[in-house]
Amino acid sequence: MEATLTIWSKHMAKFFRNREELGGLLLQPILWVGLFGIGMSALVGGAAGGDYLTFMLPGILALTALGGAVGGGMQLLDERLRGILKEYLVAPIPRLSILLGNAASTVTKALFQTGIILLIGALIGARPGPSPLGWLAGLALLVLFTLGFAGLALAVAARSSSIMGYHGMIFLFNLPLLFASSALYPLAAVPGWMRIVALLNPTTYLIDGLRSLTFGGTGMFHPALTFAVTAGFALLGTALALVSFRRAIRL
Amino acid sequence: MIAARGIVKRYGEVVALDGLNLAVRRGTIYALLGPNGAGKSTLIGILTTLIVPTAGEASVAGADIATQPDAVRRAIGVTFQDLVLDRDLTGRQVLDIHGRLYGQSAALRRRKIDELVALTQLADAIDRTTGTYSGGMRRRLELARGLMTEPQLLFLDEPTQGLDPQNRAAIWAYLRALNRDRGLTILLTTHAMEEAEALADTVGIIDGGRLVAEGTTAELTADIPPPPAQPPRASLEDAFLKLTGRALRD
Repeated sequence: MEATLTIWSKHMAKFFRNREELGGLLLQPILWVGLFGIGMSALVGGAAGGDYLTFMLPGILALTALGGAVGGGMQLLDERLRGILKEYLVAPIPRLSILLGNAASTVTKALFQTGIILLIGALIGARPGPSPLGWLAGLALLVLFTLGFAGLALAVAARSSSIMGYHGMIFLFNLPLLFASSALYPLAAVPGWMRIVALLNPTTYLIDGLRSLTFGGTGMFHPALTFAVTAGFALLGTALALVSFRRAIRL
Repeated sequence: MIAARGIVKRYGEVVALDGLNLAVRRGTIYALLGPNGAGKSTLIGILTTLIVPTAGEASVAGADIATQPDAVRRAIGVTFQDLVLDRDLTGRQVLDIHGRLYGQSAALRRRKIDELVALTQLADAIDRTTGTYSGGMRRRLELARGLMTEPQLLFLDEPTQGLDPQNRAAIWAYLRALNRDRGLTILLTTHAMEEAEALADTVGIIDGGRLVAEGTTAELTADIPPPPAQPPRASLEDAFLKLTGRALRD
């Protein structure tokens, strides 16, 4: 636990000192909500029941979680390629704590970013729901989903031999998870085959949970199913990361 | 302090270590000399528990590398051939985080950092990010990090590679003092003959993944005919140090 906390605090210290990472993290949500949100709202607002900004905001939160997880994988990859990982590996700490430290800093940064998105979204007209329990449920779903995708990203980062290779691989997961879901358009508006793919996609359950529990909308799924799917995704991602990391360090 | 027997490491068809045996006595400095690709870094990786050997066994500070890796890790300090420092952290953060990974208390970490900063002459730079450090300062900070946890045994993989004579002389002086005053056992790899001559009690020559010779400098050179006599003169390094001084330039 102490080692996990140490690695988390190290990543956060680096994050707050790195102006490029910090600036990018602050600007991305502004661009997504401010440009994409307003632009798409004018175009397809009717298809989403008139309030596209509120409809889209959970999708942007999911996108942020995906982006944050990709960044978390990059952190591990960078430390691996530059040899910094060796400092952890020669220390008497559990190997799992290295992964958990990475996952914890990834989730923290993603939550920081989602907080900004919500604030900007509210400022420009999105209408979040009033229930504190709904907000807590949304937070838990976001943490679980980010953990799941961070696990996938860390699994790829543990084995990639280059930054280009990592990004090539990660986009194979990232883009389908985002676009084959209900993140940016209602499932009723997409072809049948894509609806089936979306129903197999954990992103759809995260977004549905956020829309119904946090934003007070109507959900397609029971909250128990939503939590079961996102928790299962978190477990799957963590397990994949652990297997991949163990193989990578057993030189 | 180190006993390795029949260490083999294969990467597919490539044999990096081929049944290597090694013994390093407590309180001594052992220099492992060898050309590039001889297997020096692989051996350090195995002894520091980073790499799993294909065959063979080894104990470090009385602990078996395969069955008691955490005990080995608690007993050793390591500096790697590549500089592995986070450029966005200050020197103090680098040392502090390292101490935290080993469970040191805040008070102990503060005391050790003060002590090591004085030893490695980094007082003026310790609160700057390491991205602003020169190569010599980074090497000295890495050495300080390796010493943060008061190891019984220090592994140094090419510790002065790429350094100017001033920094090299400073690091040699720290290592001699640590060995003399604290009885620290040191295993270093190098392909700089003068480094091995300047520091080591015992020199091992490794080639093709095997230890091909071992002894003191005098023992290893006893059977080698001396080169033809040359007029006595100082080395180019002597001239360089006379002209530029011995003070560190950071």
